[in-house]
Amino acid sequence: MKSVIKSAMLAAVGSMGLAAPSFAEEVNVAFFLQWPTPNLVWKTSGAYADAMGVDVNWVDFTTGTAMTEAMLAGDIDISYSQGLAPFVTAIQQGAPLKMIGIAVIYEANDCFVRNELGIDGSNASELEGKTVAVPLNTMADYAFRKYMDHYNIDIATMTVVDQAPPDGAKSLADGAVDMACVFGGVDTASAAEVGTAIMTSQQKQDAGIGSFDVVTVTEKFATENPELVQAFMDATAEANEAWTGSDEQVQIVADASGMGVEATKTTLAGFVIPSVEDQVSNFFNEGGDAAAAAASLGLVFQGDSDGSQIAKTIDGSFLE
Amino acid sequence: MLEWLSDNRASIAAVLILAMIGTFVWSIVIGRRQARLTANDEVFGDPVRTKGGWYWAVCGVSTLFLLWSYYSWGVGRAYFPNAANEMCQIAKLEEAVSPIKAALPIGSRYFKSTLLASRNSDQLDDLEAQLEGTVFVDAEKSELLDVIGQVRELIANSSNPNNMGEEPKAELLRLAERLNELSSYVDAGPIGLAPSDEALAQPKWGTTFTEIPILPITERGMLFDTASVEAAEIAAAFNKIRNKFPANDVLIDDIKTRIDALKEINKSGEFDELERADREGYVKAVERIFKRLDDGLIFPAAALEDVGTAIANLDAAASDAQGGLRYADALFFPGPGIVKSRTQCTEQGPARWLPKPTDVVATFARLANPDVESGGGYRGFPLLWWDWLPIADVVAFFIPDWIADVWPGEYASHGPDGTITPNFKDKLLAFAQGDVSLGYIPMLDGHIWDSLFRVLVALGLGIFLGVPLGLFMGVSRFFKSFFDPLIELYRPVPPLAWAPLILTIFGIHDDGKIFLLFMVAFAIMVISARTGASGVLLSKIRASHSLGASDRQIMWNVILPNAMPEILTGTRIAVGVCWGTLVAAEMLAGTTGVGFIENIARTVSDYELIWVTILIMGILGLVFDLIMRWIIKKTIPWRGMG
Repeated sequence: MKSVIKSAMLAAVGSMGLAAPSFAEEVNVAFFLQWPTPNLVWKTSGAYADAMGVDVNWVDFTTGTAMTEAMLAGDIDISYSQGLAPFVTAIQQGAPLKMIGIAVIYEANDCFVRNELGIDGSNASELEGKTVAVPLNTMADYAFRKYMDHYNIDIATMTVVDQAPPDGAKSLADGAVDMACVFGGVDTASAAEVGTAIMTSQQKQDAGIGSFDVVTVTEKFATENPELVQAFMDATAEANEAWTGSDEQVQIVADASGMGVEATKTTLAGFVIPSVEDQVSNFFNEGGDAAAAAASLGLVFQGDSDGSQIAKTIDGSFLE
Repeated sequence: MLEWLSDNRASIAAVLILAMIGTFVWSIVIGRRQARLTANDEVFGDPVRTKGGWYWAVCGVSTLFLLWSYYSWGVGRAYFPNAANEMCQIAKLEEAVSPIKAALPIGSRYFKSTLLASRNSDQLDDLEAQLEGTVFVDAEKSELLDVIGQVRELIANSSNPNNMGEEPKAELLRLAERLNELSSYVDAGPIGLAPSDEALAQPKWGTTFTEIPILPITERGMLFDTASVEAAEIAAAFNKIRNKFPANDVLIDDIKTRIDALKEINKSGEFDELERADREGYVKAVERIFKRLDDGLIFPAAALEDVGTAIANLDAAASDAQGGLRYADALFFPGPGIVKSRTQCTEQGPARWLPKPTDVVATFARLANPDVESGGGYRGFPLLWWDWLPIADVVAFFIPDWIADVWPGEYASHGPDGTITPNFKDKLLAFAQGDVSLGYIPMLDGHIWDSLFRVLVALGLGIFLGVPLGLFMGVSRFFKSFFDPLIELYRPVPPLAWAPLILTIFGIHDDGKIFLLFMVAFAIMVISARTGASGVLLSKIRASHSLGASDRQIMWNVILPNAMPEILTGTRIAVGVCWGTLVAAEMLAGTTGVGFIENIARTVSDYELIWVTILIMGILGLVFDLIMRWIIKKTIPWRGMG
């Protein structure tokens, strides 16, 4: 308790000096390791700093929730490729953030059924009553619900076990669970060893089940430095256009994201980087995908999600 | 009833806080009075000095409650229930003018224009310094030098107030006027403003998932809300103003043509790849700086003076209009205040991660509601309730399925008419699997019970196996030497280190979690029992031995009772550590339990839920400890007496 009081006091004292100078001499951008987006070429070459005219400080994170926390603390101005799930939960908690772009569209995370069960899309109804490992409140959870919804399976009949992807993959291999929903290259690969994805890429596409990562920014930074946000988005668009997928570029991205070249290529193959026009006409238009996905995701996590509220935090004005 | 309580939680808190202040003062009065009554000859260090003193416990609890209420803004909400909503409106105004403030040295050290000018000038200097080492021929170099000079001129021109065009000047003046009008509007106070019905119908502060509803509910709030709309318009207009004038326009056109010409040369010339990249890179760098300067974003400092004064006026007016709220904010809302997002306002500082006591109770009440259908429980499972447990399930738990498998004969298969007649082997299997009706017994159910069950079973196993082993290790050379390396090797390993193995060995069910907790409890019990046994006074053992006691009698009547204090202290520690490990254990494969709730709540930063689970674990731990204290008092009343 003492430490609680102590930190509470510290917080009170800290708040006195809070009128922090808000001029932007450098921009702090959050990004993910193990997530090889093409714009990392520009990050590495320092082209972002050249294009924006200020120093760009890239900070790597492992979870989107941590990105939110850092943005709330004022340490991060822009999060590049934050997951939709942490963004939506942050909005539901009243965090002053907004979505200003789509970083990357990728296939929804897979749910793998143990090979012995012989269940795939054609007889998916047999999944009723089975045990499934899901990392709750993540994009994998969202994908799981979408799949079950697609196959008309009542989740209430299933035993849902909350497991992080490495544990889920292991439990699937051990036969402790019948299905495991995972994310991340390594765990997806090890789950695929012993299981079959409940939906193929084509099926996912046909059913309209996909995920995307977003670019988010704090309200404060966006209102005070709109020109820097604009410059960042322009630079990102330019960086994406400059992407050719050459070996040289892949090598740079692999180094920047801390991955092997092969793994980088595989991951990149599953990425679609939407052009600015695509973002404007498909995601940020009236009733576009961004608002729709955010609203349905909110429903999954909080039960009483108000889609119109989340839609207010989606701002396509920085896309030209 | 619950709804009424939930809606009026602020008023309830107000009463509670007053009561707690009363209790706090009263307990100190009693405490001081009691202190005067106690004997003066009590010696420091005498254990008797810790006896009694319930009034200090009351004092401690009320202090805790008051501090908690204060830092979680519970006090603020109780006595200023509208303050957060008003602060939210003030935050709206703050946010609305923030683009203008960002251009001025308010809250920062420099004008934005100053930063732009200095930053770009520095970059031009760098480029100029690099020019000598580039691949350009001399003529091009002097051309580039000239262009760089022109870009510098652009900065210089923009910074000179005399160059400024009439239009932007007039526009800035107009905005300053509008800001001043806004200040007088705010100064005049909320005349003729009334909150809308929609606003009044909003849920109260903190009663729903939306923390602080965004629409103004007071007249003062209305004033700031309407002011923020006007301020936002002014800010938008301010953002549109560009410092453009003919002299610069000519310059800009000229620079543009010259850069284009340079680019043309780069494109058409016969350069090898490397040289071309160098050339293009350099020209692009110049162009980038030029592009940042060509849209007239640099203003002379003097030109922004009026707007700066107007903003200062507005700040003063807003500060006056806040009236008593300013003091309430400073005194009862510790931390950085309120942050406005697009959808709601939220508390910042300690109030963000420390929910109010009443909110925690309300969340607990919502979870504790056993009616899962109507939104009670957590994830479709009650917190603590009871349910009918089929006896068959209990039987099935003890009878393994393979008994049916090894029974002679074959399982029945479906006949030609499609019906199945089960034979004895089928029935046996059904029995072993619990598919029979044997009646029901009431059984506890829910997240808390599941956690409790895991802790109790693990603790029970730990005591049952650990105490005998520890006692024997305390008296026997063989046991001591044989088990010592084993126990000492695994004991220091933190329980979490076992976690990855547990999943593979035990799977996702309770046994793995129980095993993890058991490992913790077992080591503690062994060590404490051993210490207790080896600490028995030799004279006592000798005495009983000489009186003719057998080994068994010595163990049972001398060593065990003498080791009891250590064993019971060990149990107390083990209970605590088991609860501590529970969260980790339930993270392995979360299905139910208090730790599971906390793990899920963490992924969405639901601090209320996190605190509820912390409190549940704290209270359960406390109850366990109280029980242990009672047991200690009953079983070893001689402890500390000799």
